[in-house]
Order: sequence, then C-alpha cells, then structure tokens
Amino acid sequence: MKTSRTRRVVFQPATYRRMQKGIHKMVNAVSPTLGALPRLVALEPISSRTKLPEFLDDGGTIARRIIQIADRDEDMGAMFVRQMLWSLREKVGDGTATAAVLFRSLYDQGVHYITSGGNAMLLSRYLEEGLRVIVDQLSTMARPVEGKEHIAQIAESICHDPPLARLLGEIFDIIGEHGRLEIRSGRGRALEREYVEGMYWDNSGVHARQMLDPSTLRVELENAYIMISDFELEDPYQLMPLLRKAVEARASPLVLVASKLSDRCVGLLLAASKDPSKFHVIAVKVPGLQSYDRSAALEDMAILTGGKYYTRVAGQSVTQVQLDDLGRARRAWADRFNFGIVGGKGDPRVLRRHIADLRLAFSRVEDKNDRKNIQKRIGKLLGGSATLYVGGLSEIDVNARKELAERTAEAVRGVISEGVVPGGGVALLSCKPVLQQIAAESTEVDRRAAYRILARAMEEPMRTIIRNAGHDASEIMAEIKLAGPGYGFDVRSGKVVNMAEAGIFDALSVQKEAVHSAVSSAALALTIDVLVHRKNPPQAVNP
Amino acid sequence: MAVNDAEAKVMVEEDIVYALAASPDFASDGVCFAARSSGLYRSDDGGLTWHNAYASLNLEEPLATMAVIVSPDFRSDRRVFGGVMGGVMCSSDGGEHWSASVFRTPPPLISALAISPDFANDGTLFAGTMEDGVFRSADRGTHWAAWNFGLLDLSILCLAVSPGFAEDETVFAGTDSGIFRSTNGGRAWREIDFPGELAPVLSLALSPDYPTSGILFAGTESQGLYRSTDRGKTWTRLGEGIIGESVNCILLSPEFPTRPEILAVVGSELLFSADGGETWAPWKGGVSIDRGITTALAPCGLAPSAPLLIGLVGGEVLRL
Repeated sequence: MKTSRTRRVVFQPATYRRMQKGIHKMVNAVSPTLGALPRLVALEPISSRTKLPEFLDDGGTIARRIIQIADRDEDMGAMFVRQMLWSLREKVGDGTATAAVLFRSLYDQGVHYITSGGNAMLLSRYLEEGLRVIVDQLSTMARPVEGKEHIAQIAESICHDPPLARLLGEIFDIIGEHGRLEIRSGRGRALEREYVEGMYWDNSGVHARQMLDPSTLRVELENAYIMISDFELEDPYQLMPLLRKAVEARASPLVLVASKLSDRCVGLLLAASKDPSKFHVIAVKVPGLQSYDRSAALEDMAILTGGKYYTRVAGQSVTQVQLDDLGRARRAWADRFNFGIVGGKGDPRVLRRHIADLRLAFSRVEDKNDRKNIQKRIGKLLGGSATLYVGGLSEIDVNARKELAERTAEAVRGVISEGVVPGGGVALLSCKPVLQQIAAESTEVDRRAAYRILARAMEEPMRTIIRNAGHDASEIMAEIKLAGPGYGFDVRSGKVVNMAEAGIFDALSVQKEAVHSAVSSAALALTIDVLVHRKNPPQAVNP
Repeated sequence: MAVNDAEAKVMVEEDIVYALAASPDFASDGVCFAARSSGLYRSDDGGLTWHNAYASLNLEEPLATMAVIVSPDFRSDRRVFGGVMGGVMCSSDGGEHWSASVFRTPPPLISALAISPDFANDGTLFAGTMEDGVFRSADRGTHWAAWNFGLLDLSILCLAVSPGFAEDETVFAGTDSGIFRSTNGGRAWREIDFPGELAPVLSLALSPDYPTSGILFAGTESQGLYRSTDRGKTWTRLGEGIIGESVNCILLSPEFPTRPEILAVVGSELLFSADGGETWAPWKGGVSIDRGITTALAPCGLAPSAPLLIGLVGGEVLRL
C-alpha cells in the first residue's frame, strides 16, 4: 500500500470531496445487502489465498472487514462510516445497510447544499432537530409483537434463515425480551434448543469435587438452606458454630456460598455430611470474576431465596451468620462449573420490585457491557433460560450461523421490547410527508434545507431495496406513491402491497437506531472541515 | 341450618371441600366429584349421595385431594383428574380406577387443576402448586413438566383457561402476589397489571366470550372482587362495601355477557348479580349457611331452577 510518510493537512473543498469518495466506497460495499433479497459481498480471506472468499450479507461485518482504504483522505471517510456501522451492529444487531444508505444520501445532499453556500453548523443543528421528528413519527407506527409465529416472521426478515427464525420465535416467545439465551455450537448439523428451569450461575461450581455424586458429577438438594456470602473460609473452627446450629435446627441440606474454602474446611464439610440423610452440606463458589458481578450475583441470590447476604467488606464473618438469614429454595443443584436454584423462597413482591429496578436501569444505561450485565441479571431472575445449539456442515459454517443467531437474537429482543413498523423502507418513507410539511412551513433557509434533505433521504432505503432485488426503483416508487400510504414493494412476490397486511415488518428499535446513527453521524460529518494525517498511519485492528 | 327443601346434606366427616367438578352432561348423567381432605368423592345422582372414588385403590389412609377436574369430553373419554400431594391421579373410566402421575421431588402440593377446552385434540392440562408454580401436561396427564418462565410467584392459588384456548393459548394464574398470564399455552408467563396490594388472588373466572371481549374477574382474599374488560390491563372493583371478605369462587352464566349473571362465594355468603357485577344481592334472597363456603359449582348454569353445589368447611357438599 502506498502511503505518505509526512504529516499532511487537508482543507476544503478537498475535505468534502475526498471524504465523500471514501464514504461512497464503504457504503457501496454494504448497500447490496439491504432488503429481503440481499446480494452477497465476497471478501478475500485474511489468512490464505487458497481458501474460498468469505461470503457476507451483513453490513456490519462487511464494514468491519474493510480495515483500510489506500487513499488516506478517503480512508478517513470510509472509517467514519465503518465505526458508525459497527457501533450500530453492536448495539441492535441489524440496520447497518439502512443506516449506510441513509448516511450517504444525507452526506451527499448536505455537501451539495453547503458547497452552494449553506451554513454547515446550522444545517447540522436542524438535521439533529429533524431526527427527533423522525423518531417520534416512527414510534407512532409501532405495533406490538406477540406469539411465536410473529416473532419468527420478524426474525426471518433479519436472518433470512427460516429454521433458525422459527426456533428463535419459539425461544423468545418463552423467555421474553430479557430472557437468558445461550448460543452454543451443536454436535450435529441441525439446530436444537434446551430449556433450563430456574436460574444458575456460571463459574460457581462446588469447591471440592468430593462434594458431588461420583456417578453424575452433580449434587441435587431438596428444600435447601443457603448461606449467601463472599467469605474466605480458611479455619474450620470458624465454621463450627454455624454447622452446629444448622444440625440442631435440622437446617439441612445446606449450601455455603463462599469465595474460598480451605482444604481443612472441605474436610470438615465432608465429615459433617457423612450421612447425608441426616445432615448434608456443600460449598459453592461465589459467581462472577469482577467484584461488581460478585456483589450483583449475591444480591440477586439473596432476593431470590429470601436470605441475607454477608460480605467481607462490611466486616462480617461466618461466626455472625444466623439461621434466619439463610436463603431457602425448593431445589438447589451444583456441578463442577455451575450452581443453580429452582423455586427460591424469597418474597415475590420484593423480587418483582428488584426486576422492575433492573429494567429501569437497563433502559437508562448506555454502556453496552453494563446493559448486557443487567440483561443477564434480569434473565436469571425471570426463572429460566434457553440454550440454542447451532449445528452445521463445518466449523466455519457453525461459527457463521452462530454469529447470525446472536445478531438476530439481539435484534429480536429489541423487536419484543419496542414493537415493529411496516417493513421494506415503508416506515421511513411514511415520515416524508411530515418532514416536507415542516420544510414548507419553515421560514429559516437552513432549517428548510435540512428538512428537505431528510425527506429526500427517507426514500433511499426503499429505493435501494428495490434496486437490490433487480427492479427499476423509479418505476416502482411511482407505483407505490399511487397505491397510497402503507404500501411498499414486496421483493419476494415482486408486487406492490400493503406491508402491514402482507406481514412485512421491521423492528422499530432497529429502524430508530439506524436513523439515529445515520442522521447524527451525517450531522457531525458535515461539520468536518479539515483532515489531519499523522506522519505514520495508525495500524487498523479487529478485522 | 335454614336451607330450602331441595337441599341435600351429605358427607358429614370433619374435613374440607377444596374443589368440585361435574360432568359436562350433568343434567342427564348427574356425575360430579368433590375433592376433599379426606379424599375424592363421586356422586352419580347430581350430588345427593356420594361414595369414595378411590375405593378401588384400597388405601389405608385417606388421600387428601385438593383439586379435581373433569374432561370436557367426559362422555366419550371418561377422564377425571385429581390433584394430590406429589402428583395427579388420573382415571379414564369416570373415576372407577386410577393411576398416579408422580411429579419430581420434592413433592409439590397441587392446589389447582385446569384443562384445555380443546382437550380432545391437544390433551393439555395444567396443575398449579403451592410452592412449585405450574406444571403442564400435553399428553392427557401422563407426563408433567414445570413451565415457570416469568412466573415470579410460585404459590398458585387458582388457574383459569381461556375458552378460546385452541386459538389464543391463554391461561391465567392467580397467586399470592398477583395475577400472571400465559399466551403460549402455559410455557411462559408474564405478570399482568393487577395491583400487588390487592393480592392474594383466590379465584378467577373468564367470560365465555373472553377471546373477543377480554372480560375476566378476579376474587381476592380481603380486597374484594374485580373485573377487567381488557384482558387484565385495567381493573374495576365490583360490589364495593358489599364484597369485602375472601372471594373463594366466581361463577358466570354460560351465556355471559348476554345474560350477565355472576355468583360469587364470599366468605360464608352466596352473592348474586344479574347485571355483570354492578349490583349485588344474596343468592335466592338469602341462603343461611353457618360455615365458610370453600367452593361452588353450577353445572347447569345460574338459572333459578338450576342446581347449585357448594362445598363447605367441614367437608359437606350442599345441593341448593
């Protein structure tokens, strides 16, 4: 690759021109994937030239694979789009091609307006203002998604894999928007699913293997008492008072949740459980690796079981544990890796309040990892989980399908949470009259221009979908206009239909996020006046 | 006891009647069942005389039965189910012989049974338990599995299946802390907007036209009777000032809401409304019963001449 070795500064009008080229290159690579009949993008393999190219129809992944464009000015435009698309993909799992074509339209029109004498800063501000109008307008079109068939239909519009969509429809109909779903590699070629009752924590197995039933490598306890703590149990004498009280009160079986358990304590517990029919005690690890995860898990466990949780940071020790503070569960189980509870006996009202608080936090938190953690907690507390086993012909096939399943699952969560809007670009096109009306009523020239630009851009996803399906966009757009509001082009039947009646929908959350990403990114990109290159170009990572 | 002449007093043992169920052809065959702490009893003469339905089991001790349900196709399949500690008793010959479907340990206490109106095709049954949530069987009671996704309160006090279950797959569960609804045949549950402070919910009744009208009723332990006309989103209190005690049972006319009659078992009283719950009066001008009424059954509807069976604390079943 030919690159400049000197620091270089690029000014207008070259900034817009060069960035625009890079933006076009990136968007052109992604836009063929938009719609129910997407075209494929083939990428040269990274490791070996003898391998088959990678065939992709997911805009986010395509953008991520493009790590650099030869021209450094163009590269800045392309990487700007890449970052926008990947963030969108990470957040909602879909909508990248829609965002890409919207962004291109907005940027192109914006550049045209600014280079004709418009004010970039005012245009940017009014584009952001118009964004709120679009999002509100989209929300008014939302309809809820209920039932496995409907969820499967939406899932299929995202993943274009009917068996996977059917299974995700069933799974999400059961586990709901926040439910816990693990996607794992399957052994065969097919897709399979498994539902697990109750809740369990990973990396929370027993402290010592001897505590498990040797034939099943698992221990099952009925009507269990649970001590919830992050204690480091070193000295068996510390444990003696609690065990004595438990034996006297017949608080058996007993599970001790603790960070650490010394070999001497293991010995004591095994000796105390010599006759499990009389008294049975095991110890499991505190779930989570980070301290936040640990305290969150202990808090959830305490609420689920109606127990109190003890922590070292509060200066508490095992000698202070009272039997009344132990949690209770109808069943508890543990193996080498996990600890699970079924039928925790906590107060259901407290549990519901706790879940409501977590849901509120989920809706307010922006950080992706925090959201994921909160979602996991809610999923656990809801009392069950699902595992989807993804099979395939080869490891590459399985991995690709797993990635697809994960992306679709993420989008489906949004669908259940916020509902759907008419698909095929109809929802965005339906925002056009409102934007045009505001433009017509505006007396301020930059505001008028911004709303006109937005109105025009709202057509672009539908045009691209029609083009990708191999039809003449102008001709069909005219037909759609004649047919009236709510009508769009069903690329599968090749007919203009009422999209809602035909059951063609898009996820509202995805559409909102796609518009948000495109408009706010375009509003920012249009204010870029100068490009500054480093002497040594930075190395791209994460292909 | 001041009851009318048509009343028949049966089963005087000191126990409690938990549930009553009748054959869909009760008017002609007179078959009905009473689930009691002393076992399950069957009557073949419309509730006048009763005999131990578990007689063929030759049990040494009474098998307390907390719930009973009869198949909607009883005429052809003769299936009856009784909820006991640890499982469900199943009979396919009208209660002569029984087999047990034992649930996994620890043994759950079955508190309610409900059956799909489309049982002939889907074979679906639900068993509510006191500590373990809802179990579901899709093979006529042979195998049962707990399906408690989203069911945050596992103390089930009552169950109600939608009359349009074949299409809408809707089931409601009244619990210690509120009401949950499943719209996928009991595989997953979502809490509905019933104020938690009004719970426990002891009884539920769905209008026969629930699939179109969305009308349902919920009876609470101490906060009265409520009606929702939008599938449980909003609730209106009925009979305020009249219905204050525990609402143990709600019966609707089979022609509801065309004939908007409701009978509510409130403590030891039977209250009747002929206008969908707007106004209330004692049933048939007042039936005095000196003990708590635990449940009631109107196998032929709520017309004045139709029989009404009521179960009492103490184990009696009265036919009014």
